[in-house]
Amino acid sequence: MAQIEIRDLGIDYRKPKSDEVFSAVDGVALSVEKGEFVTIVGSSGCGKSTLLMAVAGLVALSRGSIRIDGKDVTGPGPDRAVVFQEASLLPWRSVRGNVKFGLEMQRWSGGNLDEQAMQMIRLVGLGRFSDYQPHQLSGGMRQRVNIARALAVDPEVLLMDEPFGALDAQTREIMGTELLRIWERDKKTALFVTHDIDEAIFLADKIVVMGRNPGHIKEVIKVDLPRPRDEEVLDSEDFHNLRKRLRAHLAEDMSSMQLVQEVA
Amino acid sequence: MRSAEMTAAPAEAKQVSFSFLYPSRSAVVGTLAVLLFLVLWQVAPSMGWVNGRFTSRPTEVFLAAIDIFRNDNFLYHARISLTEFVAGFALAIVVSIPLGVLLGTSKIARYLIDPPLMALYIAPTLVLLPILVIWLGIDMAPKIAVVFLGAVFPIVLNTMAGMSEADPKLLRMARSFGASKFDIFSRVLVPGSLPALLTGIRLAVGRAVLGVVVGELFVSQAGIGYQLNLYGQAMRIDRLLVYALVVSAFGYTLTILVRSVENKVRDWRSK
Ligand SMILES: Nc1ncnc2c1ncn2[C@@H]1O[C@H](COP(=O)(O)OP(=O)(O)O)[C@@H](O)[C@H]1O
Ligand SMILES: [Mg+2]
Repeated sequence: MAQIEIRDLGIDYRKPKSDEVFSAVDGVALSVEKGEFVTIVGSSGCGKSTLLMAVAGLVALSRGSIRIDGKDVTGPGPDRAVVFQEASLLPWRSVRGNVKFGLEMQRWSGGNLDEQAMQMIRLVGLGRFSDYQPHQLSGGMRQRVNIARALAVDPEVLLMDEPFGALDAQTREIMGTELLRIWERDKKTALFVTHDIDEAIFLADKIVVMGRNPGHIKEVIKVDLPRPRDEEVLDSEDFHNLRKRLRAHLAEDMSSMQLVQEVA
Repeated sequence: MRSAEMTAAPAEAKQVSFSFLYPSRSAVVGTLAVLLFLVLWQVAPSMGWVNGRFTSRPTEVFLAAIDIFRNDNFLYHARISLTEFVAGFALAIVVSIPLGVLLGTSKIARYLIDPPLMALYIAPTLVLLPILVIWLGIDMAPKIAVVFLGAVFPIVLNTMAGMSEADPKLLRMARSFGASKFDIFSRVLVPGSLPALLTGIRLAVGRAVLGVVVGELFVSQAGIGYQLNLYGQAMRIDRLLVYALVVSAFGYTLTILVRSVENKVRDWRSK
């Protein structure tokens, strides 16, 4: 059985100041094997974050089910950790304090909190910055802390919502490579949301392409590029082909969006 | 693969500052302006520009200050006023922080108490003085009450705002790690609202100082406000100014003190 089993998932949001509901995600089915790195792409607003937050247990399901290791998701749990789009660091805590936060919340009993935190901080390359405050860090460094905080609690599943979305292209590429390096160590199951096509291919074993209105899965694409990967893979022919295929998908989405706007 | 350490942009370390050795232009201009004012004030009565009886002179004020600190029972009056201030302020803190926390964390409580609270905050609590005197007499009690009323609202309202305007992204992050309600309160809401709380306390200082003085001016047997009243009726501008300066210096120092703590706590927000 797959580690994550999503069946018939639907999530409705109530429109503000009315009783109308609006379906952000509908009819989503997906299974993810243990150790698989799955990326989720789609244009902005197609329900990627909603899907991810549902797996995190932070958004209530309206229909269907999400199971992890056979257990229904009813809320957040220590088997999952989220890397948020915005670093969401506590501004009054140092880098180390922030990485310890998750451990403290989960009443972690696997040894010394400081040691565990420091190990993760070194892993993401911030060893020298453990006593810095968030405001002293660059955007890329903050996301490293965000990742270290999630890794520290040693989750079964790592959920990442466009963690590099706000970074410049160069830093983004570096962070992608770094993330793969870290992931290679113990190959945790990962769900990674992005709207960047290259990023989606570069990281993935499997790409989930989402479409909008309501958010649904259009296609699931296997990626067989060899691992470990580095930037060279970006120039391979397989990569080019995948990129073409994804572009076509997203272009289709864009034109349907324009149509909607013209009608409206 | 590029090394991690290299890719992490080094953040600037805090440097030791020797800037106090080099006064800024604004400090120089400010000092000059004060000096110019003092000189003008000193010579204006002799030049016949103003009536010295109403304006006094810096030198007279200075001499009056020495006299007051020596012979005017200054410490006695200062202690009375200070006691009223401290008692009222302490009471305000004890009441306002829990109330602010309650209002900041409970929507229902907020809907219920927010409008009357706002009204009381905006209304000048000093208008209640006559009533307070009738209720509490002319001793320290009514002044303590006025200080309390002046200080309590800014602290409640700012604590409330600090709590209820907590960053929803941080709350969600905490929930994702399984934080309990209490964890969220103690580890996210409380530290997050500390700067707002301190802002409330700073605003409260000004209102509390005003409360003491006006309370004593209105009716009292001792205190700085009592002395102000006394010398006001005797037309002793020099002595009036000394007491006024004492009051401002007290309020100013306290405000600066709170602000420096506030800035320290708020450090992370800037930049
Ligand atoms: N909390 C919410 N309340 C109401 N609507 C929401 C909420 N969050 C997201 N939405 C809407 O749901 C849709 C999907 O949003 P989201 O999952 O954030 O998309 P994506 O991450 O792909 O950009 C969007 O139309 C968005 O406006
Ligand atoms: Mg999103």
